[in-house]
Amino acid sequence: MNSSLEAPGRRRRFDRLVAVFHQDMFRYAAWLSRDRSIAEDVVQEALLRAWKSLDALRDDDAAKPWLLTIVRRENARFFERRRLETVDIDNLTASQSALLAEAPNEELADLREAIYGLDDDYREPLVLQVLMGYSTNEIAELMGLKQGAVLTRLHRARLKLKDGAAKEANS
Amino acid sequence: MSRDNETMQEDDLNKLMNDDPAFEAKLAQAMQLDVPELDMPELPDIDAANVVPLGRGPKKMMWFAMAATVALAAFLGFQVGNNELGGHGEHSSGGTLEEQVLAHLDGEPASYRITDERVPDDQLVKVVPANLATMNHDAGLITYAMSCHINGKDVPHLVVQGEKGPITILLMPHEKVDGTRELEGENIHGFIIPVGDGSIAIVGGKGEALDRVRQNVVDSVSWST
Repeated sequence: MNSSLEAPGRRRRFDRLVAVFHQDMFRYAAWLSRDRSIAEDVVQEALLRAWKSLDALRDDDAAKPWLLTIVRRENARFFERRRLETVDIDNLTASQSALLAEAPNEELADLREAIYGLDDDYREPLVLQVLMGYSTNEIAELMGLKQGAVLTRLHRARLKLKDGAAKEANS
Repeated sequence: MSRDNETMQEDDLNKLMNDDPAFEAKLAQAMQLDVPELDMPELPDIDAANVVPLGRGPKKMMWFAMAATVALAAFLGFQVGNNELGGHGEHSSGGTLEEQVLAHLDGEPASYRITDERVPDDQLVKVVPANLATMNHDAGLITYAMSCHINGKDVPHLVVQGEKGPITILLMPHEKVDGTRELEGENIHGFIIPVGDGSIAIVGGKGEALDRVRQNVVDSVSWST
């Protein structure tokens, strides 16, 4: 079989989805990995996997959670391979620092650093809610949690960030 | 106690968010990282070997072979195995009816899925409206239904599951044909059959027995136009 025969329509569909969701994929990967370079690698792998399994996506309206789920899995695979489970915020690599250096002003830089410093358990649901617009039910489904757990994490994440901001102001 | 064991009500979270909209705005702004230009990886050719299977591997592979042939037809000019074709059936929007049917299939890869999931009745009614055609449930397990346009006309595009994979059915009440027009490709076969003042296209994989489907469809469909 000539495998390229069915490609044009399939490729058009894929390009359309990527054009719409690439930014979300990168930002989600970046906040998961806390590293721009890793995020770029994760997105590349996620795009490849999405391309190969595109026919499993039944409805393009569901493309965003489908793609973000792929990003999430690829990020987990990456860290399983590298065994980079923790990031020392006081000893960042250039690529990790680059993520924080882009903030347009000092206040946002501080807040970005505080988000960066949150545990994964808090940071991920917060990104999904604030950046991706997910409901708590959708976050629960994606992360395999109960809704109550998601609500708790979102609540505590905000309190931690506010508490950090207050301490920063006082110092 | 695990930190997740404490239950948090949605109202509590909403209150926290609503009480400090400025913080929420900053939070959203802080998360808006600059995104590098898209660096698309080299995408491999897709064939049955590297497509994630949906559960019935061999049938899936057959259907991708069929889809590939359909795509070839659309882009290179399909060699329709029908001696009657020579020259007749040209359509104003380009190509013969056969070519338009095959080109249309190329544009709907979603219809190639193998699944046991039936299209809900309300969706089927929308796709096959009563003012176009009526259809009973004898046509088979309909797993895909989409209202499409071929030659400028509304055409219900349905898929039923055959023995070897999905079988495409296009209901074309406004496309009258003089006789059966056969469609043959390396991996597909099918036909456009006259039904009253319209026609129905039925396309399946090579080796798929279409006669029973053909009979079921013809028996279950009647035009309203």
